[in-house]
Amino acid sequence: MSFNVLIVDDSKSMRGVIKKVISISGFKMDQCLEAGNGKEALNILADDWVDVIMSDINMPEMNGFELLEELQKDDLLKNIPVVVITTESSEERMQYALNLGAKGFIKKPFLPEDLKKILYEVIGVSDDGDYGEDTGDNGDFDF
Amino acid sequence: MMETMEKIQEIMGISIFEVFEKMFYTFLEPSDVMYGDYDVGADIVFNGPVSGSVRILFSMDMANAMVQNMLGLKDDEITEDDTEDCLKEAVNMVCGNLFGKFDSTEVFNLSVPTFTRQPERLEGGETTRRMDFDSDDGKVGVIVALSHQ
Repeated sequence: MSFNVLIVDDSKSMRGVIKKVISISGFKMDQCLEAGNGKEALNILADDWVDVIMSDINMPEMNGFELLEELQKDDLLKNIPVVVITTESSEERMQYALNLGAKGFIKKPFLPEDLKKILYEVIGVSDDGDYGEDTGDNGDFDF
Repeated sequence: MMETMEKIQEIMGISIFEVFEKMFYTFLEPSDVMYGDYDVGADIVFNGPVSGSVRILFSMDMANAMVQNMLGLKDDEITEDDTEDCLKEAVNMVCGNLFGKFDSTEVFNLSVPTFTRQPERLEGGETTRRMDFDSDDGKVGVIVALSHQ
């Protein structure tokens, strides 16, 4: 079983890094879609289903908080787990993101292991890469 | 103001080291030399209990190494957009990390980072602190300026 991931970040570099880290982490990724802000993310979600969203907070046009609010308004989209990936330093704002429906957050800079761990947590698969069937992949990194 | 500046300077040394190690695989060493020939820079303005700005300066070899390490690109594959985006993200991450360590119970608003070529040199002063770092990949300078409130 593999998963579709949507990365929402206004930095093309950061989207590239997140994509690269997910790819090498052993996480079974099928499609990796990218959006530069919340509005673009909603446009993508109108046509494509994803299993997890990884979103920045501070973005132009529609920020991460606004994206979370929009997702919660939709009966289908509100079920997609969202991980907030941000430079945000305030505990209050992180709690706000969780209150808006985010399933977890990770602060930049992050280690590949941190990203892998939270992806497994929010999607509900075990940390050793066990998806409930024998994938033959132990999820280890190979740098 | 002086106490705040000293605290920010101390934390900045930790934050920039952490960000560069984790995201750019580069180890910075504090330098006693105040370099004057940086090629590019990225700025951010912050507002909160303390307000001001952070400018991070880079030698071109350092900037190229950061893009290569972060994105896994070869030297001839790097575009100007890649460099600008990468350095803006660097100053963003350093500031987020800095204020998380400074006081995570407070909210700091960070501006959208800006990128500059041939940035102006700023000296240290009462409300401005300058730090320089060396690495195997090149040079990095940091200028923190606090606003009078």
